[in-house]
Amino acid sequence: MKSLLPQPVKVVRILGALGIVGGITFFYYRIFSVNNVTVALSFLLAVLAIATRWGVIEALAASVAGVLCFNFFFLPPIGTLTIADPQNWVALSAFVVTALIASHLSASVKKQALESTHRQHEMERLYTLSRNLLLLQVHGPMAQEITNLIARVFELPGLAFYDRTSDRIHRAGPHDIPVDAGKLRDTAVQGTVFHDAATNTTLIPISLGGQAMGSLGIQGSQVSETALHAIANLTAITLERAHAQDAATRAEAARQSEELKSTMLDALAHEFKTPLTPIKAAVTSMLSDGDMSATHQELLRIVDEETDRLNSMLTEAIQMSRIEAGQLQLRRSPQPLSTIVQAQLDKLGEGLEGRKVTVEVPEKLPRVSVDPELTGIVIWQLLNNALRYTPPGSPLILRASAGETEVIVSIEDCGPGISEPEQRKVFDKFYRGKDQRERIPGTGMGLTIAREIVRAHHGRIWVESEPGKGARFSFSVPRAPRESLL
Amino acid sequence: MTNARILVVDDEPQIRRVMRATLVARGYMVSTARNGEEALEKVREERFDLVLLDINMPGIGGMETCRIIRSQSDIPIVILSIRNAEKEKVEALDAGADDYVTKPFSMPELLARIRAALRRAPLLSSGTPDVLNLGQTVINFVARRVTVNGTEVRLTPKEFDLLRYFASNPDVAIPHTKLLQAVWGPDYGEEVEYLRVFINQLRKKIEPDPSHPEYLLTEPWVGYRFSLPKA
Repeated sequence: MKSLLPQPVKVVRILGALGIVGGITFFYYRIFSVNNVTVALSFLLAVLAIATRWGVIEALAASVAGVLCFNFFFLPPIGTLTIADPQNWVALSAFVVTALIASHLSASVKKQALESTHRQHEMERLYTLSRNLLLLQVHGPMAQEITNLIARVFELPGLAFYDRTSDRIHRAGPHDIPVDAGKLRDTAVQGTVFHDAATNTTLIPISLGGQAMGSLGIQGSQVSETALHAIANLTAITLERAHAQDAATRAEAARQSEELKSTMLDALAHEFKTPLTPIKAAVTSMLSDGDMSATHQELLRIVDEETDRLNSMLTEAIQMSRIEAGQLQLRRSPQPLSTIVQAQLDKLGEGLEGRKVTVEVPEKLPRVSVDPELTGIVIWQLLNNALRYTPPGSPLILRASAGETEVIVSIEDCGPGISEPEQRKVFDKFYRGKDQRERIPGTGMGLTIAREIVRAHHGRIWVESEPGKGARFSFSVPRAPRESLL
Repeated sequence: MTNARILVVDDEPQIRRVMRATLVARGYMVSTARNGEEALEKVREERFDLVLLDINMPGIGGMETCRIIRSQSDIPIVILSIRNAEKEKVEALDAGADDYVTKPFSMPELLARIRAALRRAPLLSSGTPDVLNLGQTVINFVARRVTVNGTEVRLTPKEFDLLRYFASNPDVAIPHTKLLQAVWGPDYGEEVEYLRVFINQLRKKIEPDPSHPEYLLTEPWVGYRFSLPKA
């Protein structure tokens, strides 16, 4: 650190030092006569005191003046500036050496004290800064607030902060710092500290984990480089915290919106089911009377079937909304697969329209660890899908086989098959076969529901097909541990 | 049992209308209520043979209504609900319902379930005693009464029928399907969760320690077994 004392003070002190030397000379020459050793010691003490108190320049001035006065007034021949005795050279050297050593020691002690005070201030400021940064409200214009805060806490004349995310420069402090955007950007990208002596500005990069986040430009040299790095790190952490919070807020908003959609879909589907109930009850009641013409019966059957279709579409919508809202809770237990399959075949009943469904489930098939209700839905969706997209009367084969850790169930049809690009899309939500979407009714949710349920069981679901040769949909579910009981 | 009196509880007027029309045509006497509170009032004032109860209603709701009716009476309760998750079925049965039908339902199916709920299991075969003494628990099959340590416990008709079926087939494992068909009726067989709930309720009522049952035992993979204490 340079001493920034103004020149007049220095001049006054030099004059003071000379005055002290003059005073001692006057005292011993005129008032109180003592031997030369005492006079020399007095000069030495004065030089020492001046060096400790004021500095090297003042002490040197006092030394020279002291040597001259000592020589002129006290050393023989008195009244001349010649030194007869070589001992007097020793006295003069002692004066100069003492002045130099004492002033140097004193200056370095002072400097150290000053530096440690400065460091302490810096630490206090860094602490204040970090506390304030922590307390910053993460929402709102963070970058500008950080800039203001650093400038205020460190009392900087000028500060520029380049935020790389928004590509904007924020400035603070009483003076506009003479640094351009290009240099700040370069510092951020290159990640090296840059000092411009001409304008007395330091540019320091801000990065976290190797990722460039921006840069700081600081005018003046009152902040040490260590403190500068600390400021840059604190800024990086604060920015990262803001970004993380921001991302979390956005994810939460997206989740809430998804949840709201699901809740609304669920509520809507339930609302639609309410009027379906009296329709279904009335039409099935009339059909069971049997007391009507064949035409009326046929018409009522159509109403009944369409009611069922509407109902199953609504059921799918409800299932889908549950899955999307993350409400799929598995109630797993070891289950015999054959029971689940049979229940679904019974449920399809008339929907099979006299088709031959061959079930090849080995009698000794190990039990599967599944939620029976949800696995039933998977089988139902796959069967229903096969029934819808294959010609009436064509057979279906349902197979199951056991692997080491899982059981694979597959449903094979003899329909038109699925082209390879379509195979990749059939499980996507709302995707409907290109050739079928006009002809065959459906919601495009069935296979998605099946996939999500299988995934929840940590199983796989896939399709194999060759156009013209039918399709085979398969899924796997985990085997139940051997020793487990109901 | 025609002439049976049925209380239809639903907040949807169209459902009440269609139920009334259909059930009256089948010879039942029908009364309706728009919500749980009204249903409780009617059950207190009149005698019914069966309650058809909607779950999702404003006010106290179907589940709570079911619980209150069950705490006061043994009347069969059939729940009608739009939700068909197993969790809800089990909750309804736990609340004391005898059966659970998902909306929309076909009328012949509901009528079959109404008949099943109204039906009492056939009388005992001659080989079953009138009174079964299990020690602390005494079952009087003629009077349809059960006492545990001298205190009478109330069993719903379905619970009693289930217990009676067990008592007439002691010490053998009875498969789920057989139990369901014997107690609920021939249309049943897949409703294993019904058995879980009813057996739990029975255990709570007649077992000295319901978590370690002595009489109503689970037969893994098969069903249940009624174990008679060794004399």
